[in-house]
Amino acid sequence: MRRITLVQIKPNRKAKVAEISGGANLQNKLMHMGIFKGKEMTKLSHIGLRGPVVIKTGRSMLAIGHGIATKIILEVE
Amino acid sequence: MIKKIYLIGNPNVGKSVVFSRLTGVHVISSNYPGTTVEILKGYVYVGDEKIEIVDLPGTYSLEPTSHAEEVAVSLLKEYSKDEIVVINILDATNLERNLLLTLQLIEKGFRIVACLNMCDEAGHKGVHIDTEKLEKLLNVQVVPTCAVTGLGIKSLIEKIKDASPALRNQLTQEERWSEIGRIVEQVQRLEHRHHTLKELLEDASVRPLSGFMIASGIIYASFKTVRFIGEFIINKITDPVFINLYQPILEKLTLHWQEKGFWFHLLIGDLINSKIDFKQSLGVLTTAPYIEFGMVLPYVISFYLILSLLEDIGYLPRLAILLDNVLHRLGLHGFAVIPVLLGFGCNVPGILATRSLESKRERFIASTLISIGVPCIPLQAMIFGLLGQFGGLYVVGVYLVLFCLVLILGLIMNRFLTGYSPEFLLEIPPYRFPPLSTLLKKLYFRVKGFLIEAVPVVMIGVLVINILIYFKLFNLVTSISAPVIHGLFGLPKEAVVALIIGFIRKDVAVGMLMPLGLSAKQLFIGATLLAISFPCVATFVVLLKELGWKGLVKSTFIMVAISVIVGATLNFIILR
Repeated sequence: MRRITLVQIKPNRKAKVAEISGGANLQNKLMHMGIFKGKEMTKLSHIGLRGPVVIKTGRSMLAIGHGIATKIILEVE
Repeated sequence: MIKKIYLIGNPNVGKSVVFSRLTGVHVISSNYPGTTVEILKGYVYVGDEKIEIVDLPGTYSLEPTSHAEEVAVSLLKEYSKDEIVVINILDATNLERNLLLTLQLIEKGFRIVACLNMCDEAGHKGVHIDTEKLEKLLNVQVVPTCAVTGLGIKSLIEKIKDASPALRNQLTQEERWSEIGRIVEQVQRLEHRHHTLKELLEDASVRPLSGFMIASGIIYASFKTVRFIGEFIINKITDPVFINLYQPILEKLTLHWQEKGFWFHLLIGDLINSKIDFKQSLGVLTTAPYIEFGMVLPYVISFYLILSLLEDIGYLPRLAILLDNVLHRLGLHGFAVIPVLLGFGCNVPGILATRSLESKRERFIASTLISIGVPCIPLQAMIFGLLGQFGGLYVVGVYLVLFCLVLILGLIMNRFLTGYSPEFLLEIPPYRFPPLSTLLKKLYFRVKGFLIEAVPVVMIGVLVINILIYFKLFNLVTSISAPVIHGLFGLPKEAVVALIIGFIRKDVAVGMLMPLGLSAKQLFIGATLLAISFPCVATFVVLLKELGWKGLVKSTFIMVAISVIVGATLNFIILR
């Protein structure tokens, strides 16, 4: 098991959230949108030049700013 | 006894559509989160009782993390829980995410009715929800609806008076999510579906390469279509009506009038080659209606048709993703694209839409950039009509100047303004294809709104201007400002009148430039200055409301400074 950030994982790969390394406010915000430790998500794409990461989780598609995406740590094989 | 009904739900679940259905009041709804920036109120009849109903901004949770959510949550506390009923609107296509708020509402002891909206779309997507089982598990009434067609709204109203609180233990967030997992597993059945073309497009439009290709295609096609439809209406409908129908009537009416009389000057204006010229006469009955109905209205129609289409399909949040990295460097984030696009119609709704941006700094930057660099559609229509005569390159030039200004100004503001700009975090809706009737209804309300606001101002404005010109009251201002207007900007000194009128309405202001016989260069400078200098009075009022006095003064100072710099630069350096 390796831990990498949502920015680093390749598009079209699926992984589980290992940790959200941000403050309580960010954790809450993501929690309300259904992103929390253990949740599975698929990265769809990443716009270059520090653009956002787009993910699919459950039945939602979410765009996550580059800064937040670096704080979402995933667990990969 | 129910004192108030509240509509609450996650962003973009169709609260505003349900609200429209319940109250009969038309409100603008779109396929992106955060359309509703004002608290909407209306009335609904429950039996014989008329009860006030409030549409709250979308919220994911009762523990607010953004300003809009705070507003929603604080409004829920206005009355005690037994005096209100909460209609919780859920998106049936995405039940899992929506249930968090529902559980919180139940735990807090609200009397709720759950409205399972977009049931038809869920069916198409192969999502089947057992409403009865959901009712049992939640212990609240669940009504499936399809607000766009009105299905289920009647039974929703019937259930309001029977709403009663359900008992549930307080859970922690994690416990809630696992509870939701259990509920969804029992009530939701997913049919396996192959990827549809729509889903392929949804994904392709957010991937870097295909995304930018689709975006440039859509922007180009939108611009072309707006111009095509606008010109079509002008050439085939409004111009023939004005020239073949209205002009002969006016000429007959005024045949026996003495030309230089006061009333003639007021109503008809000057005759050009002893004929009425709708573009140059400047009368209340000639140029004023021609500007609004013959030049601006056709573009208002075509612009809002295309904008509404893009809004309802759900393309705009995808554009926001693609432009996030650029906007980030201007101190904004991707979502700011939506206020900016609305600003191209009219700056007022554009600036109001900046409310969906989180920080004060972001709102200041976005509002200032919109009022400087985003010309409203009436102004654009006049620029097309007037500057277009000299060739499309001049029109493109104005946009290019404005675009560069926005970039430079944004970079500077981002560098020097204190405060923070939060990160982008946005749920991207699926593509939806609105029924034509919905689209036309939205267009109708927007065009009607434009006419109600613009026509009286234009008529009265032209009347007042004509009186001032008749009594030569502008002469003093003209000669005082001549050094700047003529010396610095290279415009005839009478053009100052147009710049002042620009404070009232931009389209009339360009109209005031028409009789001056300007060269292409002068018109270019005049039009650009009108776009970047003071916004019109309506925009000023919202700027004051949104930014406060201090922000307004700061923003105005930037505008005046930029206008002088740009006007002089264009005159002396670029267009020499």
